[in-house]
Amino acid sequence: MNEAPRKTTVTLEDLLRVKRAEQPPAEFWSEFERGLRTKQLAAIVEPRPWWAPLIRIGSRVSRYQLPVGVTAILAITLLTVREYGPVASNPVFEPTSSETASVPVSAPASERSNAAEVTATPSVSGAVASTVAAEPASAPAASVARHEPAPATTTALGSVSHVAMVNAELSSARYAADNLASVQPTDPELDQMLGRTPGSGVRNAPQSEPLAQINLSSESRSQRLLAGMAWVAPSNSGDSALRTNDHTARHLTERRLSESDVISRLDVGGNRVTVKF
Amino acid sequence: MDAAKTLGKTLVASPERQLEADTDMEIVRRVQEGDVAAFDQLVLKYRSRVYGVVYNLTSNREDAADLTQDAFIKSFQSINRFQGQSSFFTWLYRIAVNSTLTHLRKNRLRTFFSFEKINTDDKVSAEVIAALTDDNSADQETFARELQEKLNEAMQKLSIRHRTVITLFEIDGLGHQEIAEIMNCSVGTVRSRLHYAKQLLQSELQPYIRR
Repeated sequence: MNEAPRKTTVTLEDLLRVKRAEQPPAEFWSEFERGLRTKQLAAIVEPRPWWAPLIRIGSRVSRYQLPVGVTAILAITLLTVREYGPVASNPVFEPTSSETASVPVSAPASERSNAAEVTATPSVSGAVASTVAAEPASAPAASVARHEPAPATTTALGSVSHVAMVNAELSSARYAADNLASVQPTDPELDQMLGRTPGSGVRNAPQSEPLAQINLSSESRSQRLLAGMAWVAPSNSGDSALRTNDHTARHLTERRLSESDVISRLDVGGNRVTVKF
Repeated sequence: MDAAKTLGKTLVASPERQLEADTDMEIVRRVQEGDVAAFDQLVLKYRSRVYGVVYNLTSNREDAADLTQDAFIKSFQSINRFQGQSSFFTWLYRIAVNSTLTHLRKNRLRTFFSFEKINTDDKVSAEVIAALTDDNSADQETFARELQEKLNEAMQKLSIRHRTVITLFEIDGLGHQEIAEIMNCSVGTVRSRLHYAKQLLQSELQPYIRR
């Protein structure tokens, strides 16, 4: 009898074939069958978890991943734009303002308010014009007039940022005006500084508008301070009051006036006036 | 080339495989219509192959038995959602492989081996063992156990994905396309993983390779 030739080479594939020969014995399968039956019954009896339907829905939706995803992104974008996009909803404000530029900063507030209304040309930005017009006459006008007019070649982006700045200033001006209105009745000193009759409670003239005064040049500021002191002075002797005024006027240099915008305190004593910056 | 491997590589296209897929689909329809007992036919048909794959991935017979049972339970529970886009066999394999991969990832740090006995009736494995040992049958038995341990150790040194590819291709005899469907990746990825896994195994099992 001829024997089959003995295998001399052993490759990796041959070695892995040995693993294929690792088989369970026949009795294993009867045990396996019993275990499977038990698990099958348990699976039928035991309640399915509450999230099982969600998985089913998810697997159905997963077929339409792209359209569902695109729709979700669009919806989120739309919501975001609607909720947080005030710039997009405002019309573009383009100050064409040769008129605005020509209005002097130190002009009376009423004039400036007129200038602001002229600046907002209806053809370009009607909404902004209406916003400005709806504000109390002097405060917003002052803040608008304070802005340097944009050059004629202003880009759209520049206009948008300009509108944002104007909006911010309008709100801050309104806030400052409200604060002043609430403080003034209780603070006679502030009344004096603003050129109002103490206790009148009503604004007399547009010149006494606080924001308008803040915008005045340093020269007018020094004049205003001296006028304030002159209002206090008659209660003292005439000569000393005059000397004090001259002395103060010498020390109210341009530099010192421009260093601080806020007069924190006005102290009036026997025959001297102290102005702290 | 081995007949099983040939069958595995031509499973998708061959008429035998198509006939088998049609038969499976017929049984699945019966189960979907309420004939629950028909599912037993599918269990009987595929339990050995599914168990073989899971066992070679885990190198633990108890875990393999549990995971195979779980795969059949899951397929039974979800059989109403099976629409026949792939063959039942591929779908069942995918469930089994995914369950096993989840199990292996969960128990990465806890690995116990428990081996099946090598079937000495298998002609090819008997030839390999005979080529590597003397004619003494006692030596062959000892060597077979040693070789089995080394093979399983080498397999466990592979990553889970590489181990899955080498198991499905070399041990279970599936084709690249089928492995790609089961593992939900491209055929190129399957080839690349297979190449890398073979290189690693070659270096690990060098003492047992005779050229």
